[in-house]
Amino acid sequence: MIRFILADLRRLWAGAAVVVLLVTLATALGVTVTLQERALRLGSARAADKFDLVIGVAGSETQLVLSSIFLQPAPLPLMPGEVLAKLSKDPRVAWVAPVGFGDSFAGYPLVGTTRALVGSTVSGFAEGRMFEKEGEALVGAAVKLPVGAEIKPMHGTAQMGGETHAGVVYQVTGKLPPTGTPWDRAILVPIQAVWHVHGLGHDHGHEEEEEQHHEGEVAASGGHDADHDDHGAVDADAPIDENFTADAPGLPAVLVKPKTIADAYKLRQEYRNGNTLAVFPGEVLTSLYATLGDAKMVLSAVAAGSQGLVAAALVLVTVTHIGQRRRQIGALRAFGAPRLSVFAIVWLELFLLVALGIGLGFLTGLAAARLIADAFTARSGIILPVGFTGEDWRMALILLGASAVLSAVPAILAYRQSPAAALRA
Amino acid sequence: MLSLHLDSLGKSFPGLGSPVLLVDFLAITAGERVAVTGGSGSGKSTFINVITGLERPTSGKVVWSGEDITRLSETARDRWRAEHVGLVMQDFHLFPGLSAVENVLLPARLARVADRALIARAHDLLESVGLSRPDQKIETMSRGEMQRVAIARAVLRKPGVIVADEPTASLDVEAGETVGRLLLDMAAEAKSMLIVVSHDQRLIDRLDRRITLSAGRIVADDLREEVAA
Repeated sequence: MIRFILADLRRLWAGAAVVVLLVTLATALGVTVTLQERALRLGSARAADKFDLVIGVAGSETQLVLSSIFLQPAPLPLMPGEVLAKLSKDPRVAWVAPVGFGDSFAGYPLVGTTRALVGSTVSGFAEGRMFEKEGEALVGAAVKLPVGAEIKPMHGTAQMGGETHAGVVYQVTGKLPPTGTPWDRAILVPIQAVWHVHGLGHDHGHEEEEEQHHEGEVAASGGHDADHDDHGAVDADAPIDENFTADAPGLPAVLVKPKTIADAYKLRQEYRNGNTLAVFPGEVLTSLYATLGDAKMVLSAVAAGSQGLVAAALVLVTVTHIGQRRRQIGALRAFGAPRLSVFAIVWLELFLLVALGIGLGFLTGLAAARLIADAFTARSGIILPVGFTGEDWRMALILLGASAVLSAVPAILAYRQSPAAALRA
Repeated sequence: MLSLHLDSLGKSFPGLGSPVLLVDFLAITAGERVAVTGGSGSGKSTFINVITGLERPTSGKVVWSGEDITRLSETARDRWRAEHVGLVMQDFHLFPGLSAVENVLLPARLARVADRALIARAHDLLESVGLSRPDQKIETMSRGEMQRVAIARAVLRKPGVIVADEPTASLDVEAGETVGRLLLDMAAEAKSMLIVVSHDQRLIDRLDRRITLSAGRIVADDLREEVAA
């Protein structure tokens, strides 16, 4: 029977190929949407995993999380340095780290932070050692710079027409292991250096005024007056001072690791007042996922619609096809093939094609999702875990079940037709 | 060895006024070789369909060696036909993409009865109908060769009756001659009854008995000796 089906398919190979192709594309569309959405959710959740609480100036929660955790370049207003000092002394805080951004080098964002953050979020170094002096830097795993390379930071990003900070040079002392987060594409420097580059924190007397002047600029968008080379310079050999006092310069955001969950909720409550905004990255992501879920639903509906169309087209094609083969089927019966064999032949022939298409569709969908995820990782540093889960296998079984039922339609037609009438036709 | 009795047989189709087939009584003994002739629309095809169980008559009995096949279910009639009837048709109904021997074996395989002995018989049969390449694809054969494959398929399971519907009509004289001779030889070898619907006078003349149909009724039933006389 199998040989008969194969001979038949070989004879009709062009039509069979089109059927397989249609099913493959329709399946792949749905699979890609599902895989990509899930990967995006998992990947972003993993990227935010290490950070429990983010505190910044009152404003957009989403922007705060996107900038501080996903390192999206955007100007963030600064909050007073005393917040950092207060948090450093808070007994409910395991560690607190400021993050300052705005500069970049060769397309990689420069993030000013502390040894506490580096030490608490990654285990060890892929190469080299921690920064010890103001003029030293660490690079993420995905940054294509060797240990010992020199970094001349640029204000803003090259695309935004930023300028190079004259006279400022960092030396790479270490490379971090991969984390699968946007921080893999970041260059980490002491926060103190970021302040100094931008002329903050030298002269405490003028801090108020300096802060006014630089609001928004540390977070950086370019388009500044020509005078900003005057900001200040880094003393490359200065030791790093990470005991932050109330008169520390302003900051776009601080990352906080509370000691307990209860502490986390208390801190979040306490720093959600008029001036500052404390958020759990998870809660922001959850609301983003809701939007993502809506988009996915629309795309899934489109995919399901296309699958339905393909299914309808297949039924039409096969019913017509059975009509054309009435004589052949009638002859099979006349020569003594049992009715069930005729049913099985027609059913298997279509089901094989559709099942092959579904299988290829899942592979194509996986490959497409992988390609998209790789492109996304190259741009953002966020690793998107693309893979099948039990849910997908269930989906595959449902699709196979539906196609088994669908294939039965022409098979039943073939089963019911009278051989004598078919031969007369 | 099968014999056939038809009793008060009638077949009519809805929408047609008079029945297309009406046979009060007909008996054909085992091993007999019968020609069925008549103009188009005389009921020849319906006669074939009814006696082979492809169609159920509206009334009457079709009794093969004591078994009335009109009382069988469609599935049982299929099984009965597979076992007892060898069919040869005007346009062969062979399946492209399969080789000659695969075509011979296809119905038996679909009915799951193709054992080693039957496969060996399929090869022998192809040889005896004069085809030396059992693995040749069917679509590369001439029409005469195709009909010979169809004959091998019909007699594979040593059926009690071989029914041929215009077996030579689409062949040239020479190929028709060969096919007619093979049908007679094969029927003789298997001691099968042979019923041939034909207009081919040379083939008809070689059979024992000639039944003529007109408007669904038997209008003549002659033995060859009488024809000759």
